[in-house]
Amino acid sequence: MKIETVYQVEVLDHGTQFTLREICERSDVHAEFVVKLVSYGVIAPVEEGAPRDWYFDAIALSRLRKAQRLQRDLKLNLPGLAMSLELLDDVDELRREVARLNQQVRQLRGE
Amino acid sequence: MDFKDYYATLGVKEDASPDEIKKAYRKLARKYHPDVSKEEGSEDKFKDVGEAYEALKDPEKRAEYDELRKYGANQKGNFQPPPGWQGGASFGGGGYTEADSAQFSEFFESIFGGRKGGAGGFGGFRQRAHMRGEDVHARVALFLEEAYNGCEKQMQFEVTEVGADGRPFRRTKTLKVKIPAGMKQGQHIRLRGQGSPGIGGSESGDLFVEVDLAPHPIFTVEGRDLIMTLPVTPWEAALGASVTVPTLGSKLKLKVPKGATGGQKLRLKGKGLPGKQPGDQIVILQIALPKTHSEASEALYQKLAEAEADFNPRAHLEPEGA
Repeated sequence: MKIETVYQVEVLDHGTQFTLREICERSDVHAEFVVKLVSYGVIAPVEEGAPRDWYFDAIALSRLRKAQRLQRDLKLNLPGLAMSLELLDDVDELRREVARLNQQVRQLRGE
Repeated sequence: MDFKDYYATLGVKEDASPDEIKKAYRKLARKYHPDVSKEEGSEDKFKDVGEAYEALKDPEKRAEYDELRKYGANQKGNFQPPPGWQGGASFGGGGYTEADSAQFSEFFESIFGGRKGGAGGFGGFRQRAHMRGEDVHARVALFLEEAYNGCEKQMQFEVTEVGADGRPFRRTKTLKVKIPAGMKQGQHIRLRGQGSPGIGGSESGDLFVEVDLAPHPIFTVEGRDLIMTLPVTPWEAALGASVTVPTLGSKLKLKVPKGATGGQKLRLKGKGLPGKQPGDQIVILQIALPKTHSEASEALYQKLAEAEADFNPRAHLEPEGA
């Protein structure tokens, strides 16, 4: 089987943004759900303002998907969802920090 | 096809109550959820647990499964349902399976039929005459060298398509993707139109790929900066020296300033990950000593001890006024 190679990729930075409507369509959710996620601080628009002026970046988009999966699979309510995602972020950050520090310790010991 | 022992998957006894089964499922679902667990193979375990619960939570299905289990336990390895077997309990509905039923095993389908009721598809698939294809979110792990230079990566991911019978099914898609140079941890790229195909001539979804950087033996990464520890001798630190340091590009000569100290940071501008604002390489000096000293060196250290008699590296550890 021949495997297609895709050369045209788009690096997503803060310049790439999605409107509330787009983010809803892409994730198959109602705007009300996104508004709630924003009010609980699960995701944040690039700039505060009225919902119809909201824009989201790619990180918010993938976070919304994660929130959907966790809500669906673990039956979390919104406060639980908000807390879980925050804790998962912290755990991720700490894991990376521990790996980084372990490596520096190994190097200092000359291992 | 192997026989699946759903009781073992959930870690419950054959006569477990529905409550015990539910409890075991909830606990394992949290443990193995792909968004929570970093364990190898957690996604497969999560699917197995979901499938086991789907079979055991419903008394009717559980009774059917128990029947088969008696029969299956006598077979070694290659399980086949008894001839003429037809699952009575209807499939579909309820929690987890509404979303992921298309991912259940062949074993599950051979018992319960499966894929009835139009359920399936990650993220809740609802069928309309016209619908934009689903976006797919995937991750790719890159070595630091690959992130620095850019690379081509082969990726596999699942998309949802609609079969000739109008039912959605999951298909594994393989692509080679050109990853541009300078990707950071957690950064995303988008491949337009490479997600699930649209329905009724609608647009296909996009593929979003999130980058994970693998640990590197020399460098740690912070944003676009690369950090490394560089051992230098005491005399290089004291006298200054020009030493060779590895970078992700080519090797470089670094000037260690005269009177440098352990823990001092030196910055190689622009030698980190490339980008609109390229990162720096940060070199942390570490004073290294030989494991043994010759008599000649010991004599020199003796002289040094006399010349530096006033230096007390432990001054800050002594009680004040002592």
